Amino acid sequence: MNAPTDPVLDIRNLTKKFGEFTALDNLSLALRRGQILGFIGPNGAGKTTTIKILVGAMRPTSGTATIAGADCVRDAWRIKRLVGYMPDTFGAYDNMRVREYLDFFGAAFGIPRGARAKRIDEVLETTGSGWMQDRYVEALSHGMKQRIGVARTLLHDPEMLILDEPANGLDPQARIEMRDLLLKLAGMGKTLIVTSHILPELSRICDVVAIITQGKLRAFGTLDQIMRDLRQKRTFEIQLCGPAQVEGAAAAVREALHQDEREGVKAHATESLVRFDTARSDTELAAILAALVGLKIDVSQFREIPKDLEDAFLSVTRREAPAA
Amino acid sequence: MIPVLRREFLGILRSPRALAALLAAAVAFSLLVLVRWPAGGIVDLSGAGSRGAFLVFAAALLGGVLLLVPAFPASSIVRERNQGTLILLFNSPIPPIGIYAGKFLGVLAFAGLVLCTTLPAAAAVYAMGGVDPWRQIALLYAVLLVMAILSIAIGLLVSTRATSPDAAVRVTYGMVFAVAFLTLCPHALTRGTTGLSATIADWLRRLSPLPVVMHLVGQGGAVGGGLLEKDSGVWQFLVCGLGLAAVLAVATILQLDHRLFDRSRDAGKITDDRSLWVRIVRRLVFLVDPQRRKAGIPFYLNPIMVKEFRTRRFGRFHWLLRLAAGCAVVSLLMTLAATNGTMDWGVETIGGLLVILQIALVVLLTPSLAAGLIASERERGGWSLLRSTTLPGWRIATGKLTSVAWTMLLVLAATLPGYLVMTTIKPTMWNQVMLALVSVLLAVAMTLALSAAIGAFHTRTAAATVTVYVVLMILYLGPLVVWAFRGDPFGEQVVRFALSITPLGAALSVIGMPGFTQYELIPIAWKIAGAICVASLIVYALQVWRLLRPE
Ligand SMILES: Nc1ncnc2c1ncn2[C@@H]1O[C@H](COP(=O)(O)OP(=O)(O)O)[C@@H](O)[C@H]1O
Ligand SMILES: [Mg+2]
Repeated sequence: MNAPTDPVLDIRNLTKKFGEFTALDNLSLALRRGQILGFIGPNGAGKTTTIKILVGAMRPTSGTATIAGADCVRDAWRIKRLVGYMPDTFGAYDNMRVREYLDFFGAAFGIPRGARAKRIDEVLETTGSGWMQDRYVEALSHGMKQRIGVARTLLHDPEMLILDEPANGLDPQARIEMRDLLLKLAGMGKTLIVTSHILPELSRICDVVAIITQGKLRAFGTLDQIMRDLRQKRTFEIQLCGPAQVEGAAAAVREALHQDEREGVKAHATESLVRFDTARSDTELAAILAALVGLKIDVSQFREIPKDLEDAFLSVTRREAPAA
Repeated sequence: MIPVLRREFLGILRSPRALAALLAAAVAFSLLVLVRWPAGGIVDLSGAGSRGAFLVFAAALLGGVLLLVPAFPASSIVRERNQGTLILLFNSPIPPIGIYAGKFLGVLAFAGLVLCTTLPAAAAVYAMGGVDPWRQIALLYAVLLVMAILSIAIGLLVSTRATSPDAAVRVTYGMVFAVAFLTLCPHALTRGTTGLSATIADWLRRLSPLPVVMHLVGQGGAVGGGLLEKDSGVWQFLVCGLGLAAVLAVATILQLDHRLFDRSRDAGKITDDRSLWVRIVRRLVFLVDPQRRKAGIPFYLNPIMVKEFRTRRFGRFHWLLRLAAGCAVVSLLMTLAATNGTMDWGVETIGGLLVILQIALVVLLTPSLAAGLIASERERGGWSLLRSTTLPGWRIATGKLTSVAWTMLLVLAATLPGYLVMTTIKPTMWNQVMLALVSVLLAVAMTLALSAAIGAFHTRTAAATVTVYVVLMILYLGPLVVWAFRGDPFGEQVVRFALSITPLGAALSVIGMPGFTQYELIPIAWKIAGAICVASLIVYALQVWRLLRPE
């Protein structure tokens, strides 16, 4: 029904107020089919609020959100079929085995009994949790519960999966498994929205990342774009062929940079390299390289040092924090 | 110990419900005395009027202690364990006995506070004259205090063993009511005989505060068809109660150690994967093996209803079968006891006891199943999952109700053999039995609807269960108390009105239970029950609808 390039998720000027408090402030973003959106922000940023509006559990104060053309307020019933939702709490039932648990939710979605049994096998297989089908849900470990939670969202084969903090509290191994699982789901053609309060946790597998703090969208785009936008200063290294030219190269770089950036240029004779921080644009950097080459300095590598995602995340969230 | 005590006490006081209970107690008792105050302020020296006031006062106090106190200790330890704060306490320098004492005294302080708010009312009763301040009022408070201590000891013991607060609340109420009421039954059966069983029954009876309070009020033999005897037993009760509480306290303190946290998770053993022999044996033992793989939910059943059955320990089929079998045996035994003449009870009395058994089952089981229908989903996060499914709201609402209704009908059906024997002995009673059964069915409907409606307004199952129990106990036991004091101080009209509030009175009167026959309660009692039922269902439906709406 929709062309593949149409946005499957379209959020426009979404605002949610709890009394005086604005939990979500004029949020707009769009997502294409088959993409993974990392919805990232510190605790209390408004991620869960956004998600609850998307799945029709909350009403926005103003603004609209549509999923595959279905409005989250008016077409709440269609949204249920389109979306598989995993809340940030698991929702265990006592005395119920994993298979019975999935059977119940399958029945709640009106899947006929025969098809349901097959579907349960499939989702257990997909999430790699077939071996725990006879366990009691309340006795599962946190990592197992998260997988069953994902399996549950898959039961009615929704187009879009919305997972609230799926990697929260998982150990590194389980986190890697969760990442692989999410990639697998994206590979099956699902559109995913995944929230996290930790940027590096999931962002590497996301096609698009939205960073939100205090209800406002701070950055939106691919991870690379965001990193470039966020970062005031990037770190570069110039690797030379020998230690002899190190001082000359450092002097040339200092020449090309602004006054305030000259301090940061360090020459490391033992490693034959020059390291510096700068906010220059890519074209200006190209000019620096050309100048070095023009001085007959033998540059073997001119490279950017990738900065920690954490640093970038902190720099946005700190920058936007109110003075108070 | 002191920090634990302070936190426990303040924690209780901070909960709006406790405060409401406190205020309600103060207001109710003041009103009670005002209402009973002699007209024109003339003190009746014979004390008949003030004895009546004292009686109502004592009954209300006892009811208050039995209904209010158990709720607090029951959830105290298990909630802290589940929230993870108990392990913090264990890692502090406070020894287990200090933790126990702190919790115990914290709840006791609250109970004491509630009792203190009733002191002005007690003073007023005394001022009316005719009541002894020491031998009646002071002893009454002593009895109530011991009952409170015993309830707290039971609650804390249950709380260390339970896995969820609402289960703890249910078991604690059950045990407190067993101590208060069931302990009287063996004595009633062995009365007039001698021997070991009679002696044991006599000692068991000492644990119940009921005969003691009745005696203090001065109504000794007048109540309950002679179930309660003349000799006071006040001291025996105080000693037995404190002794039992001490034993329970020691048992609880001994359990307060690492074992609380060191429980292995259920590995989810399944019968289908075990050897043939095990499968055959389990088949014979369980009939319906709880550990066999379940087939999927068929399309013609409401998934919510099936889920309710599967998630409740009591809803699991093998439990239902056991319960039903137990009920069938009890009802048959009772009927047979009447027919072979070892007891000089008429068929009517047996019919009355059957009705009481059925209503007791209804009142005790229904809230434990129905109060948490909505609250448990909201507490555990199931609600947000349910509303993200395509199940329509009315199916959620009805699925939950029918899961309880079927359970109750099955249990009640198991008591029918007793009636069958009765009608065989006395075929003329057929009509009466039918009317009684309709009354019992109405009681089920009313209790279920009321429990579900009240429970739906809570976010915690334990709180929902407590509230529903309190409301139902008042609703069902209150009229019986009024009936027990028919003539003095309650007039014919008052008793009739009280009995018509629930279908219990109607059922007892049509079956011909001695003492109830003079009241014409059908159809007024049926109409009231129907009205309560319909109103509750509407409230329940509205609340479910409200909860399913986006916030
Ligand atoms: N029902 C509510 N009533 C009032 N405030 C709320 C409610 N739900 C969330 N909030 C507030 O809105 C903000 C965003 O919350 P939430 O969306 O849960 O954050 P998170 O990004 O951690 O998921 C928080 O400050 C929270 O306290
Ligand atoms: Mg959240």
